[in-house]
Amino acid sequence: MIAIDHVSQVFQTSGRQNHLALSDISLTIEDGAFVSILGPSGCGKSTLLYIVGGFVNPTQGLAKMKGKAITGPGPDRGPVFQEFALFPWKSVLGNVMYGPRQQGVRPADAEAQSRALIEMVGLKGFEDFYPKELSGGMKQRVALARTLAYHPAVLLMDEPFGALDAHTRTRLQNDLLNIWERDRKTVLFVTHSVDEAVYLSDKVVVMTRAPGRIKQIVDIDLSRPRRRSELLLDPRYQKYVVDIERMIDDTSENELRP
Amino acid sequence: MNPRALTTDVLLGIVPIVLLVALWQAISSFGYAAVTLLPPPGLVFMRLVQQLFTGGFQQEIGATLFRLFTGFSIAVVLGVTIGVAAAASPAINAVVRPIVRVLAPLPKVALYPALLLLLGFGHESKITLVAADALFPILLSTYYGASMVEQKLIWSAMAAGTPRGQILFKVVLPAAVPSILTGCRIGLVISCIVVFLAEMITSTDGLGHLLVTAARTFQAVDMFVPLITISLLGLILNGLLQGLRSHLLRGFPEV
Amino acid sequence: MSPRPVLARAAPVLTCLGLLAVWQIASLALNNDSFPTAIEAIRAIPSILGDKESLFNILASLRRMAIGFSVAVVASIPLGLMMARSRGVASFFNPLLMVTYPVPKAALMPIIMLWLGVGDLAKMLVIFLGVSLPVIYHSFQGAKAIEEKMLWSGAAMGLSAAQRMIRIVLPAALPEILTGCRTGLVLALITMVTSEMIARQSGAGNILFNSLDMGQYDTVYAMIIIIGAMGIGLDAAFERLRAWLVKWSEPSFEIPLSFA
Repeated sequence: MIAIDHVSQVFQTSGRQNHLALSDISLTIEDGAFVSILGPSGCGKSTLLYIVGGFVNPTQGLAKMKGKAITGPGPDRGPVFQEFALFPWKSVLGNVMYGPRQQGVRPADAEAQSRALIEMVGLKGFEDFYPKELSGGMKQRVALARTLAYHPAVLLMDEPFGALDAHTRTRLQNDLLNIWERDRKTVLFVTHSVDEAVYLSDKVVVMTRAPGRIKQIVDIDLSRPRRRSELLLDPRYQKYVVDIERMIDDTSENELRP
Repeated sequence: MNPRALTTDVLLGIVPIVLLVALWQAISSFGYAAVTLLPPPGLVFMRLVQQLFTGGFQQEIGATLFRLFTGFSIAVVLGVTIGVAAAASPAINAVVRPIVRVLAPLPKVALYPALLLLLGFGHESKITLVAADALFPILLSTYYGASMVEQKLIWSAMAAGTPRGQILFKVVLPAAVPSILTGCRIGLVISCIVVFLAEMITSTDGLGHLLVTAARTFQAVDMFVPLITISLLGLILNGLLQGLRSHLLRGFPEV
Repeated sequence: MSPRPVLARAAPVLTCLGLLAVWQIASLALNNDSFPTAIEAIRAIPSILGDKESLFNILASLRRMAIGFSVAVVASIPLGLMMARSRGVASFFNPLLMVTYPVPKAALMPIIMLWLGVGDLAKMLVIFLGVSLPVIYHSFQGAKAIEEKMLWSGAAMGLSAAQRMIRIVLPAALPEILTGCRTGLVLALITMVTSEMIARQSGAGNILFNSLDMGQYDTVYAMIIIIGAMGIGLDAAFERLRAWLVKWSEPSFEIPLSFA
């Protein structure tokens, strides 16, 4: 589905130096896979996501979606951001309806679809609320519904639960998995939380600190549907978490010396 | 905010105004000032009310309001357009920025004589002056609001399929509305002030002209009336703008 | 990247030249007696500055402006700071200030002149009133935005309330205060010029309208250039001073609070 081909990314920092954020990343993501990109802060994982999303153009290399080069954003790759990025001048319903309306769906149909989605993410009754009246967890649900509304083939999630408290985070992780189980979209999920990555994904791509390279790709062989209460006690899950954490510690240590 | 704190605030706030009016009354009652210099507040307000029902006075208000609104509207249209354009295009920004930096601190009222020479002593010169003065706050706050739009909002809209050309109207402009309205509020106050001053300096009609005429004939009461009128107008217009703002920004978090 | 910074610094000068050029072309195109060319206006400048009386007038204007401005600043900053730290003080002054905000201070000139006569005091008072508002407002905002934790740290170190005010609140609010002063400076110039246009005895505004009445159009436009230059010059100088005084602060964006 997605092919990332020798992508490198260089940023210019305040006119002084060049900062190599990503170094020669090559990665293939299969249809319907839930893939996490995991790494310490500054490893360029969000940048990689933005490149797949078409929001940032790679300095070197190419990202392809279904064989075609990615040159800009589009409704086939829907983002969900950590900051929610909801349109404050629109209500919940207005936000969710935005995508379908943009696609040319008739208002009545768009509204019906959106209401169904809003109910699916658990916000029935809040359709006329404005983002400022919602809690963080609720805002993120709206963000998810908004993206799902235009039926992207790929979901690009950039640390979507990072701004939420631990309790809300676990609930939303569960809800995300439930929603994902329905149509098994391809998901690219950026996080710095090891247990989140292992819990949610089929594959975990572990990255090094800047300049970001792929250290290792770990296949998570745990059966679905996954239940948190069972997994936490499952020794295989625990081993994955411990192994990956060690991997990340290694990369951090190596990178400490300038 | 608990209601008791609110009432204390309001009461406390009224005190200086009440004191001022009382002081005013005291000074005139005790004869510290001649009636020709400082008429008692009662007299002034009576005259104000009386004038408000006079056709002639209403016409003067009309002239002032006409200039005010025309100038302000021009400033809004120009300010928002240029502000958004400068935020959207670095090329336009490069041209507009230095011009604004040079023109902003310039006392535009100094241009008034030139405007009088070029546009005559009627409405046009005043409208132009009002527009010139109100333009900059609106332009600056529009530019600021439009350039500070969260990048992720734009990305979300693009991913949803919004073509590049529509991003400006569908995302940037709505997101910049709070900032634009702040600029408009400042611009409105400036418009009130400038139109009044321009009419005081030279004019044949309008509230400012009334004040100057009264000054020349030493009619103190008739000097206060237009001054209070323009201030009231300013407050009312400001209040209306605030109402519009609350309505338009009902979704935005409090800034 | 060498052409960029040079261009950036030259931009204001280039803009001025550009605007003058536009003026020149427009006046030649319109060919109107009442619209002299930029060059003619510029040529009239030395005659104004050279004329003792005019020069004296202009300097007197500046002097009045300076006094009005300074007194306003000295009085307004403490008031603004106190309003920010004390609910009571704020509630007391806020409505009063909000009511007087839309009143054109220069419009008070005739009334004040009735009371105080035609001397300097009237004009300085008006300037004082005009400058006070933005300085109070910005001092208030600056002090309000200070992190409570900074003050707690100070209190824990043993600083009294007054000491905290001077040693923490004042420096922390200084960037915002100076923004208010900058607005106040522009306002002082405008109020000064406007009040001189209204109450015509002396000063730059007076020269402006005298020449208008006497049909000396070159002088009118020359005076506009002079006043404009004063405005731009004062603003630029103050901005330099401000940047130097608060070089530790983060760059902020200020929207001019009000003019006239």
